[in-house]
Amino acid sequence: MAEIPFPLPDLGEGLIEATVLEWLVGEGDQVERNQPLVEVETTKSALELPSPQSGKVLKLHGAPGDVIKVGEPLIVFEVPDDTAGIVGTVPSEEAPKRRVRLSANLDDD
Amino acid sequence: MGRHAGSPVHHTVEGTDPGLNVQTHEPESPAPLPPVLLIHGFASSVALNWEQSGWIPALLDAGRRVIAVDLPGHGLSAAPEDVDSYSPSRIRADLLQIAFDEGARPLDPARPESGLDVIGYSLGSRLAWEFGATQPALVRRLVLGGPSSRDPLAEFDLAAAQRFLADGTPIDDESTANLVAMALASPNSDMYALLSLVEAIKEEPFDAAEAVPQQPILIVAGEKDERAAGLEALHSLVPSAQLMLIPGRNHVNAVTARAFKQAAIEFLS
Amino acid sequence: MPETMTAPEPVMDTQPKAQELSLQGALNLALDEILAEDPKALVLGEDVGTLGGVFRVTSGLAAKHGAERVFDTPLAESGILGMSIGLAMAGFHPIPEVQFDGFAYPAVNQIVCQLGRMNYRSRGTLPMPVTLRVPSFGGIRAPEHHGESLEALFAHVPGLKVVSPSDPQQGYSLLKAAARMPDPVIFMEPKSRYWQKGLVTSTESPADVSGARIARPGKHLTLVAWGAMVSRCIQVAELAAEDGIDIEVLDLRWLKPIDAEALATSVGKTRRAVVVHEAPRTSGLGAEVAQIIIERCFGTLKAPVERVTGFDVPYPSGDLEDEYIPNIDRILFGIQRVLEYKRG
Repeated sequence: MAEIPFPLPDLGEGLIEATVLEWLVGEGDQVERNQPLVEVETTKSALELPSPQSGKVLKLHGAPGDVIKVGEPLIVFEVPDDTAGIVGTVPSEEAPKRRVRLSANLDDD
Repeated sequence: MGRHAGSPVHHTVEGTDPGLNVQTHEPESPAPLPPVLLIHGFASSVALNWEQSGWIPALLDAGRRVIAVDLPGHGLSAAPEDVDSYSPSRIRADLLQIAFDEGARPLDPARPESGLDVIGYSLGSRLAWEFGATQPALVRRLVLGGPSSRDPLAEFDLAAAQRFLADGTPIDDESTANLVAMALASPNSDMYALLSLVEAIKEEPFDAAEAVPQQPILIVAGEKDERAAGLEALHSLVPSAQLMLIPGRNHVNAVTARAFKQAAIEFLS
Repeated sequence: MPETMTAPEPVMDTQPKAQELSLQGALNLALDEILAEDPKALVLGEDVGTLGGVFRVTSGLAAKHGAERVFDTPLAESGILGMSIGLAMAGFHPIPEVQFDGFAYPAVNQIVCQLGRMNYRSRGTLPMPVTLRVPSFGGIRAPEHHGESLEALFAHVPGLKVVSPSDPQQGYSLLKAAARMPDPVIFMEPKSRYWQKGLVTSTESPADVSGARIARPGKHLTLVAWGAMVSRCIQVAELAAEDGIDIEVLDLRWLKPIDAEALATSVGKTRRAVVVHEAPRTSGLGAEVAQIIIERCFGTLKAPVERVTGFDVPYPSGDLEDEYIPNIDRILFGIQRVLEYKRG
């Protein structure tokens, strides 16, 4: 297994930090990509951060009320070694499906 | 992603196009329920109030079709120069036209997808209150977040704000100073458009008792919300309304609260 | 054939062992063995060291063989290739990686103007034993520059060899063969197949790695493919068998030089051919394959050679990928067009 840390992303607008309001996942949870992870508040607004990837939550950084700086670790995921760091999605192997049928007269072959 | 303004059906109210940014979001598995109109707060936007806060994904997950509109001078909407474009009555008329253009239809007991549910936050709650009260044939249910029976914008010291913006003269009135600070901090908002909005609101201040919505109402506010003053006064006008306070939250950070979203989705289901 | 392939020197393993590996694992095993067997071999590229590559193909190699032999480079493909060319001139056998196909473009100047022609330019005194690994083709719903098929571009450059494995065994055997060649080889790894598992036997013989291979024998029609399209064509052949059509799948493997003999043998037998590739159609490698077949089999062909390919557009976003990459139905349509062809 590989550990993938996810730092507090750059929230734009020159913001340098955010306060943790509430965690929406817990350590040990399996999360999907885009699933809401945490509510944070900046000096400008409150927002919900979606998960950048799927994986198991290994560690949460910061309790509600704690201030986390942009770039500091927010959460650590654990993912299977062979999917770590990939850009894109591991293709799923599905049974081949078809709509087209073939017909041919092969008598003269 | 939402579909943006420029949909095939597009009508203007009284012949002028306010240039409002409209987004509709379609759920993957639609529930047999009306669309949900989202109205954001002062100096906020669809992006801040509803997207980044996680409301739109949460509503889509619940199978709800979402119509979200940036108010004039906010987000991606135009910032017209004439004050009339910002008057609450004009905004309500535009919202009504947009809701119809995006497929909302009057309530019909035989059709569960008919009607329109409305969620407003802060100034959006005031607009939702009036919208519900004036459109009983369309609006099915209302969720009012961080509302106020008084109108902080009506009491806004416009002259002090203009002096502050011109030469930095400090603003004495605390509420005005806070609202200006909030507006200055808000990305994508046009300060002068926001002041036009304030000017228009001063012409048409909120009077909750003037028109009281008859729909089922859920009122939600942060326990520490200093702006949601007079919740009790609103509640007394609609005693049947459900009231929910979110522990530890204030006017800014109650928006994202999971408990708020869950209560709203449940109330509107 | 336009040029002959340099015969690799086989390393005969006394105890052939088969193990189940993913394509990632098979390539990792091959690199591990190359580094162990050849003290001049080096692995370099973005994130190939500490991280072990974004697809984990170089995982653990830096720890095992040392950070001076398996090392991270700056994010500059031109530099990765320039460094590899210099190292080759100094007697090393570099195995650089360009992280994704679309990022080979910044290195095209080095590849075309230096890597491909240094051997010619120096009259054979500066061979370029460089194996450039390029995770290639689409199929993983990645953003722009992460799904391109550059085989025609590279095959057109004199001095380069181009090869693409289709499964773990091919990955292992072809990478080991490529790394032993004195010529520069562009090694196109089908990234959508990285997780595919298969039995890998670590014995080698020259026949195992030369030219094309028959991935599935058949008698009515030849499907010609490479990289990720080989397994799809095998699926298509199994479906066609339900309709009574017996299809041969030819895994081309070497895209430069192309094994014209294998094409002639297969199509000479089946008399019908369809070429399948992910790359855009116009001036794609399918045109070259079709021309070779026409040159060799014109008299016996039952129908014009059909091409089932990507479209002449930039590689699309992930949502449209399934429509862009030849899918089972598009390949079946191509086959049907050939089967029902009537001479006018």
